[in-house]
Amino acid sequence: MLAPTIAILGIFGIVPFLYVLYVAFHQWNPFGANPYMIYNGAGNFRRLVFDSEFLTSIAFTLKFAFFAVFSEVILGYLLAQLFMREFPGRAFFRTIHTLPLIVAPIVVGSVWRLMTTPSIGIIPYLLKSWFGYDLNIGRDATMAFALTVIMDIWHWTPLVTLTLLAALVSLPKEPFEQAQIDGANRWQIFWHVTLPMIRPAILATVFIRLMDALRTVDEVWMLTGGGPGAATRYLGLHIWKIVFPKTDYGYGSATSIIVLYLTLVMCWLLYVALVARRGQRRTP
Amino acid sequence: MAQVTVRNIVKRYGSVQVIHGVNVDIADGEFVILVGPSGCGKSTLLRMIAGLEPISDGEISIGGRVVNDVLPKDRDIAMVFQNYALYPHKNVADNMGFSLKIKGRPKAEIDAKVKKAAEILDLGKLLDRFPKQLSGGQRQRVAMGRAIVRDPQVFLFDEPLSNLDAKLRVAMRVEIKELHQRLGTTIVYVTHDQIEAMTMADKIVVMRDGKVEQIGAPLNLYDNPGNVFVAGFIGSPAMNFIKGSIDSKDGEQIFVSDTGTVLPAGGVKAQGGQQVIYGIRPEHIDITPDGLPATVSVLEPTGSETQVFAKLGGDAIDAIVKDRLTVRPGEEVRLRIDPRRVHIFDRRSGARL
Repeated sequence: MLAPTIAILGIFGIVPFLYVLYVAFHQWNPFGANPYMIYNGAGNFRRLVFDSEFLTSIAFTLKFAFFAVFSEVILGYLLAQLFMREFPGRAFFRTIHTLPLIVAPIVVGSVWRLMTTPSIGIIPYLLKSWFGYDLNIGRDATMAFALTVIMDIWHWTPLVTLTLLAALVSLPKEPFEQAQIDGANRWQIFWHVTLPMIRPAILATVFIRLMDALRTVDEVWMLTGGGPGAATRYLGLHIWKIVFPKTDYGYGSATSIIVLYLTLVMCWLLYVALVARRGQRRTP
Repeated sequence: MAQVTVRNIVKRYGSVQVIHGVNVDIADGEFVILVGPSGCGKSTLLRMIAGLEPISDGEISIGGRVVNDVLPKDRDIAMVFQNYALYPHKNVADNMGFSLKIKGRPKAEIDAKVKKAAEILDLGKLLDRFPKQLSGGQRQRVAMGRAIVRDPQVFLFDEPLSNLDAKLRVAMRVEIKELHQRLGTTIVYVTHDQIEAMTMADKIVVMRDGKVEQIGAPLNLYDNPGNVFVAGFIGSPAMNFIKGSIDSKDGEQIFVSDTGTVLPAGGVKAQGGQQVIYGIRPEHIDITPDGLPATVSVLEPTGSETQVFAKLGGDAIDAIVKDRLTVRPGEEVRLRIDPRRVHIFDRRSGARL
């Protein structure tokens, strides 16, 4: 019964992974001076450690992932709470707020690029006419970084909202009434009742969004192309640049493996920090 | 401890009115049970006392203070919910001590109070467990423990035993009653189970369709039901009702059912020919050789007693007898109705005559 699953997983998951692992230990640039695969040992990995571009990219990616995911969870929770309340047009807003989710990342990138390109984009135009601010993400690294974060928030907050809304809707109402009777105020109810009860949903969302944010490519590639300089050259884009324009397959594979490893370690750390530690806690 | 007064309470949801001017007086330390069928408004009334539902009209006061606009947390009440409403992520001790922790009481005081409540309810060994590791009865006790720790003026119970199995329900009934005797705190308790009401309450409030049908001590309601609804609701198995009219024979009042059966009517204040409903409890019918002939349709022996479903003329009637019967369905028994225990109700209004 498991055969089809194993076959599909093998073809689409395990074999490519093993192949990437295999390639990672070789020097292979089919369009380079020597187009053949040459065994290189851990050479690619050794090269990575001293690759300042790669290290900078890690730093930028972590910063990007932190700001994006953190803001998305906060904003997503607030929106979910808003959608829990009764107000005119709630169903309509609930529906339209999910629209960004169905737009392909490459399209999101294109639209935001159009909106932010100096002289034709609406955002630089409005910033100029209202605040006299010149927005040029082709030159201003901080603004380019901020815009990639804002774009990611725009695109993915609805996912967080949906997950947290589902979690909030499924909560029983009695513990909240009990907390009211127990004398808790709004903040105490949030901290002692709501938050612990939707904690699993928040964790799942953070994991999903974190993994997504760490491998973001197309949106950022469309919006900034990784620039200015390397200011928004996040890991996914960094790997893409090594593998495709440079066709340095061996080095690209090694980078991918390390990034995969980093993602796993980060998720594990997060898990230990937020889940496992709590499980061990026993108050008398 | 405090008395609770409910004055002309009205509850509306939009244009739908679900509670129509209810008045209840609950004395200090009294155990009052609101009972009635589903949808009669008893839980809504309790939630209004708790402050979880806004009051549309009328006045509720606790301990002499009008609490209409007081938040639940400031009413000094504790509530036990049907599904316990424990905090799933807190262990038993934290669940019980939460209200004190919120108030910023010192840890030693919280621990002492939790420990004391745990002793009362025999929860000492479970303090480290989480709700999902407890059985239904244990969860129920934790919910009660949480209420005890508060030491409130009034305990509110919302169908607390409905999720328990029959045996546990009986045991918990005794525990709650003992708890009340021990603490002496005012209790307002909601249930649809008239047995719970009869066995536990000092005073029962019977409700139907958002109105109070009758208020009284359990045995008083049993002996003197004010109308057909209360008569049918209180007592198990339910009272027999036979439709007919009052007549007189040899200067004595008798009851003649619509199907022609003649039954003793006792000294009823009804006029001859008045259309009535005749009520007699199954336990007030005996099987004696000089009784009225009836045909047995079903027998239900429970060991301690036997319930007999029979046809008396054209009317179905059931009786409970202590004896073990040897009759079979289809055979005849002779039923004697105790005329002093007969209840006669006006057929149109349902009121007792």
